[in-house]
Amino acid sequence: MSFRNTMRAMPTLLKVGFAEAVAYRAEMLIWVLSTTMPLVNMVLWMAVARNAPVGRFGQADFVGYFLATFAVRQLTSSWAAWLINWEVRQGTLSMRLLRPISPLWAYAAENIAGFPMRLIVAIPVTVLAVVLVGSKAVPQHAWQWAFFVLAVLGGWAISFLANVTIGALSFFLGSSQKVMEVWLVLYFVCSGYMYPVELLPAGLRTLINWLPFRYQIGLPVELMTGAHGWREALVLLGAQWAWVAVLGALTVAVWKQGVRRFAAFGG
Amino acid sequence: MISVRGLRKHYKVHKRPPGLKAALRSLVHRSYTTVKAVDGISFDIRPGERVGFLGPNGAGKTTTLKVLSGLLHPSEGEVTVDGHVPRLREEAFLKKIMLVMGQKQQLLWDLPPAETFELNRAIYDVPAAQYKQTMDELISLLDIGDLIGKPTRQLSLGERMKCELAAALIHRPRVLFLDEPTIGLDVSMQATMRTFIKDYNEKYGATLILTSHYMDDVAALCPRVIVIDKGLLSYDGSLDALVQRIRPEKRVVLRLSEQVDAARLAPLGGKVVTHEAGTAVLQVRQEAVNATISRALAGLPVTDLTVENAPLEEVMSELFAENKARREAAAHEAPASESVPA
Amino acid sequence: MGMVRRYWRLLGIQLKASGLLALQYRADFFTEGITSLFWTFTALAPLFVVYGERSVVEGWGFAEALLVVGWFTLLQGILEGAINPSLTGVVDHIRKGTLDFVLLKPADAQFLVSTQRFLPWRAFNVLTGLGLFVYAFAKLGHGPSVTGVLASVLLLGTSTLLLYSLWILTVSAAFFVVRVDNLTYLFTSIFDFARWPSSVFQGVARGALTIFFTYVIPLALMTTFPAQAMLGRLPLPALAGAVVGSAAFAWVARRVWLRSIGHYTSASS
Repeated sequence: MSFRNTMRAMPTLLKVGFAEAVAYRAEMLIWVLSTTMPLVNMVLWMAVARNAPVGRFGQADFVGYFLATFAVRQLTSSWAAWLINWEVRQGTLSMRLLRPISPLWAYAAENIAGFPMRLIVAIPVTVLAVVLVGSKAVPQHAWQWAFFVLAVLGGWAISFLANVTIGALSFFLGSSQKVMEVWLVLYFVCSGYMYPVELLPAGLRTLINWLPFRYQIGLPVELMTGAHGWREALVLLGAQWAWVAVLGALTVAVWKQGVRRFAAFGG
Repeated sequence: MISVRGLRKHYKVHKRPPGLKAALRSLVHRSYTTVKAVDGISFDIRPGERVGFLGPNGAGKTTTLKVLSGLLHPSEGEVTVDGHVPRLREEAFLKKIMLVMGQKQQLLWDLPPAETFELNRAIYDVPAAQYKQTMDELISLLDIGDLIGKPTRQLSLGERMKCELAAALIHRPRVLFLDEPTIGLDVSMQATMRTFIKDYNEKYGATLILTSHYMDDVAALCPRVIVIDKGLLSYDGSLDALVQRIRPEKRVVLRLSEQVDAARLAPLGGKVVTHEAGTAVLQVRQEAVNATISRALAGLPVTDLTVENAPLEEVMSELFAENKARREAAAHEAPASESVPA
Repeated sequence: MGMVRRYWRLLGIQLKASGLLALQYRADFFTEGITSLFWTFTALAPLFVVYGERSVVEGWGFAEALLVVGWFTLLQGILEGAINPSLTGVVDHIRKGTLDFVLLKPADAQFLVSTQRFLPWRAFNVLTGLGLFVYAFAKLGHGPSVTGVLASVLLLGTSTLLLYSLWILTVSAAFFVVRVDNLTYLFTSIFDFARWPSSVFQGVARGALTIFFTYVIPLALMTTFPAQAMLGRLPLPALAGAVVGSAAFAWVARRVWLRSIGHYTSASS
């Protein structure tokens, strides 16, 4: 579909997607409750920091960090890989391919349409963080807010594109759920989800800076808690959006190849 | 409208024998079998025609429909639908067609159908005035006014299928592919669907291809049938002519006011199919029907009499049996390999 | 006695069926193994980082904390290989309305639904857990005492019983709430709190969490107690408490299950 027509259909796609997100609110709530990992790690780090701070992190800083992690995960996550796997297996992907609009846009719209519902969870958690830790739990200046919003968008884009790429692998592998699990493990370990990346040894930190994972969670959280000056933040944001571009190109290539294969072998 | 020339669709299927050793070996060296889903068929369909695809399970009907709708790429052959090559999936092409599958749905499960209609309006870029007109029409014809506000999951299968059909027609497709649209529906709902589909075809001149296991669907809707068997085209022509060819005999059904001796049926001519409790069914050659009827009326206590074609199901299974016998005879002469390992 | 034997035989048949099924998908052994090792990494990574900063946290050294992670991983294997598959099946039964078939059978419904399916390859985590024990004791430089091993084997029984009872309680909720597909995720994520020695919870909310995870959702009993037993540190009253507590928990779960079944049969038409 031409880009103009896609954009014209977008408001309706978003509206219907939002209605779906509302219909699945109970599922979402359960999912939110099941993302307890930051809290599990929070109590561990609080115990570690009970007597003396770890690096620049005292107990309160850990509370702020992990609550921010919890909130950012709600905003930046995507389920597209599971959905695509399911649709390829059920053959319902055919219905999407028959429509004169790329399924990639449809998946993106469905994902973005869930944002308001996710904010309903993220905002109270952020408020709680401010109550517990004080105003340093959120950005202090307008530019920090702007950078934070950009970083959340970039983090979401990386999650979404990686999900679609891995989801599209199911065209070739039959099921790519195990690949997604491997990605998830790397994401948990490398993204700053379980510990602040800056507590890692320098060598590992350099490696992680070159991988996409920390830009999904770590960077938005660091920008939320004001860990970086604007110059450093700008460099990291640049790296994040470079990953968005790379993954974007990869996604389109893998998807096209996958659909071609789907048409050759049938669903 | 639709032109198919020498269409073939072969799949290479990866053969994995059971067992750990075989599984490991298949990582290195894979063996394949070629499945010939469609093996060289050609036909043309004129605008506004209603055509039924018939064939046993796995004959290649759905594969052909998927090729025609651009979901599958043909391995060989040329396919055009209203001047488009389906596999290019051009926007203009996708806006002209629709595929309705009885076993798969496009309605959003947990939202009312109205939301899917709205979504399709946006996706197919239907002008507001046309949308309103189409919607009003579909709602009144299908009688779904009360349904479209309820979440899809709460609808019965029949109600869901009516809404599914409505969702498929919002952009007024010029070509409609229907794959088992009435599967699982009760008899009256099947009739409703048939009437509606026929009306749509007549009103908008849309071309229609239908596959169905229910011969009644085909008999009621499709003047022309294309029979596909083992990927090959085994008949293309009018349904009546097919019945004539396979089962030229008519069935004369006699209802009698009293039980009569089998011996009294014999002089009527033709073959007795069943004879029990006051009803006798005779199979009679077309040209002998008149004579049989006058003899029966003269000699037996007939209360009611009808002349029917042989049931379509029987015609079809006879045709398939015939095809099978022919294939086996051919295989006997030349033991060609059906599946080629690659 | 005949009754016990009959149930043993039933269990044997169900196990055999699952085993045969698993043999058909032998390649899964490798994929499950690799994913298990990967997931274990998520349990270990924070420990590495934490013990990079400190040598002792709330009285637990690195190798000792490894034992807790080992128990966590081992129980995860039991959960995913033996408990989860069957009980997810119950949720399916309830949703599709096929639980009636189970209830019609002349055997205990709880037994039947709890043994309907096993996924042996999923139990790979048990091996990973054992591997962690070996590694931890190698780091400690000594083996566990005989009494320690005996006590921890006993606790393995009580932990499994606790886990199972908690699951039965969760599934019983499925009779009252309509959509429970996601309850399994919820359950697994609560179980995540058993990753660390329970004493790390002391500093949070003035010890309320410790009480919660010892008495309400007894996660501490499942992983911290057995690890302590292996180290020979678990006081005898705590061991007795774990045995009595898990028996009591199982009894409560059984009562709730029977009540839920009663509710189900009276409510369905």
